Amino acid sequence: MTSRKRFARSAIAVTVTAISAFGLAACSAGSGADESAAEGPVEIAYLHRLPDGEGMTPVSEIVERWNEEHPDIRVTATKFDGAASDMILKLETDVKAGSAPCLAQVGYSEVPQLYVKGLLEDVAGEAEQYAGDFSAGAYGMMKVGDAVVGLPQDTGPLVYFYNEAEFEKLGLDVPATLADVTADSAVAAAAGKYVTAFTPDEALNWLSAQSAAAGDTWFSTEGDAWSVDAEGEGSQAVSAFWQQLLDTKQTLATERWGEAFTKALNDGALIGHIGAAWEAGFLLDSLDGTPAEGQWRVAQLPDFGAGEMTGPDGGSGVAVTKGCEHPAEAMEFNAWFNTQIDDLASQGLVVAAAGTPETSEKMLRQFGGQDVLAELATASANLSPTFSYAPGFASLTKMNETAAEVVAGSAEVADIFATGQSSAVAALEDLGLPVAE
Amino acid sequence: MTATMTVTPQTTPSPSPGSTRRRNGRRRREGLTGWLFMLPFAVLFVFVFLIPIIVSVQSSMFAQVPAGDGLYGGGELEDRFVGFDNFVTAASSGAFWVGMGRVVLYAAFQIPVMIVGALALALLLDSFLVRRPGLFRMAYFLPYAIPGVIAAMIWLYLYTPEVSPFMPFLPEGTDLMAPGTMLLSMANMTTWTYTGYNMLIFLAALQAVPRELYEAARLDGATGWQIATRIKIPLVRNAALLAVLLSIIGTIQLFNEPVVMESANSWMGLDYTPMMLTYNSLMGTVSPSGTGIASAYSLLMAVIAGVLAIVYALVQRRKGDV
Repeated sequence: MTSRKRFARSAIAVTVTAISAFGLAACSAGSGADESAAEGPVEIAYLHRLPDGEGMTPVSEIVERWNEEHPDIRVTATKFDGAASDMILKLETDVKAGSAPCLAQVGYSEVPQLYVKGLLEDVAGEAEQYAGDFSAGAYGMMKVGDAVVGLPQDTGPLVYFYNEAEFEKLGLDVPATLADVTADSAVAAAAGKYVTAFTPDEALNWLSAQSAAAGDTWFSTEGDAWSVDAEGEGSQAVSAFWQQLLDTKQTLATERWGEAFTKALNDGALIGHIGAAWEAGFLLDSLDGTPAEGQWRVAQLPDFGAGEMTGPDGGSGVAVTKGCEHPAEAMEFNAWFNTQIDDLASQGLVVAAAGTPETSEKMLRQFGGQDVLAELATASANLSPTFSYAPGFASLTKMNETAAEVVAGSAEVADIFATGQSSAVAALEDLGLPVAE
Repeated sequence: MTATMTVTPQTTPSPSPGSTRRRNGRRRREGLTGWLFMLPFAVLFVFVFLIPIIVSVQSSMFAQVPAGDGLYGGGELEDRFVGFDNFVTAASSGAFWVGMGRVVLYAAFQIPVMIVGALALALLLDSFLVRRPGLFRMAYFLPYAIPGVIAAMIWLYLYTPEVSPFMPFLPEGTDLMAPGTMLLSMANMTTWTYTGYNMLIFLAALQAVPRELYEAARLDGATGWQIATRIKIPLVRNAALLAVLLSIIGTIQLFNEPVVMESANSWMGLDYTPMMLTYNSLMGTVSPSGTGIASAYSLLMAVIAGVLAIVYALVQRRKGDV
């Protein structure tokens, strides 16, 4: 039992004392920055969570190139090993202590929350000149009201992955609309296959993105208060669509990150998947060396009822943290770094910057020579321009719980959105922000 | 803890002033040595125990509220003293009590099974029935040496039908991670990890029992079974008290197992146990969030664990007196 007890103690120790004790560290870090401001190069620290995996251009290498070309602005990149939520906690303590890195990677859905917490700097003045280099939808994700807190890095539009060979065998066309998906599902199910998977552990980002693709906007303003609408017409269409597939057992209902998903993919039962663009980087890894290698393709998300539009499922940007002493220089590097599209694409990102990077050898092999990144860039450009997040969005994880109940048969898909609605309103109220009833 | 503090030797008053000075000097030196021995403990105790608790109490009295108006609260939070508001919120949180109900239910069947199992193993190893007690002692203790999260991940694989080596042999449709079976499955993990550890507590207590007692009992014609039930078990009562108290405190803070299980079972939610609720409140993935409410949850949890432990100890003591 002691180890659990120890965990509890250290958890309290780390989380709580960190907030106060970090004050000590602040003094030393702060004074160092002052000196460099007077003379010598400007020092910019950059905290990221990019994978830096095998065969990728490491962040350190990209940054080194910047440092060689820009002797007056020295950037130090540090990789944060841990979950996004851990990094936010670190930023929180560091900002309070005045020792935060100038630039930090933040998920789009977290941006409003971090801004409310006072962790991000409004750099609208500096950002404006770089706006043209990025997709408008992605740039909008780094906006909080009128403030701009940084620049976008990558996007996660929903796309449709499918096994072309299997589709041909079954005589299926790539679905262009939700009705097509429903029709394809029935044909595939008769052959013991699935053209979609319903993944409760991804419900929050995955279903909200579908709602966006169907034309909904969850968060808007009414006067000076938030107005939440997670159960709009789009959500209703999405609910009806999945409910029908679940009722007829024509979709693979399983956790996205569980073993059953991988197994179905490997044994060929799963031949289609509505997923985020960034899944292209690893979705098919387990099929390497099997007959199914090279059979999959990626296509645009079927029309969810709002035309050629998709929704955001993930993606992140690089934000300037509160207290950064050289926001202009930080933004200069930020803009340069996030337009190194080939290097960033090697990290498995669907870049937010304009232009199409070269599709990697690996992707060409796994997707039968398809220009995957061009297809994903189209999806990125089709991101809903109106859907944005509100503070507290991360706490809508209750949706995943309800989604799991849907799979178990004890709830309906529409209940997931109802949970989203009530959780979103509660989260905003808990944060002390105005909500319009 | 207390043993290290009583270092100053007992000295009788001395009539001669010279020897007093010498003795005082020695006493001072010995006192200093004692403090030096205590230093590592004291420093760690203050830094990883006292200060965190004080900070935790302090932060539980504050809430982070928007400093300004508007949709984003002015883009700044400020700490506001709220007295016991966070405790009211924590104590009136349904999720907290549902989670607490789960761990209490879990403790109610997991702890007895584990303690009886540990006692049985300890008695076996202490009974001369086993040829190589050292080997078995090691083997039973081994699971405890595996870090909790790693162990939980191993069990998660064992419970997952697609990859489990034993699930294919179980009846079709067996789900070890369904809402109805999850607590049992996690109890199994905890029992596997901690039975050996508790066995060691019992074994240590058993080895402190004077062997002459057994000899005398044998001369009186007692069987091995009688020795175990009439002598050994009553004599390890205090060890049992310790083992159960540690288990109660540990179970209230159940964390590793449910966190790992939740990663593959969304239905559990991020507030399955009070410890998960606390952690995720701090992380902002459960609302209300922030250090204030998280500190309030953890203090409330500590109080409940303390009350349960005291109640159990009192009940045991009364039983012992009768």
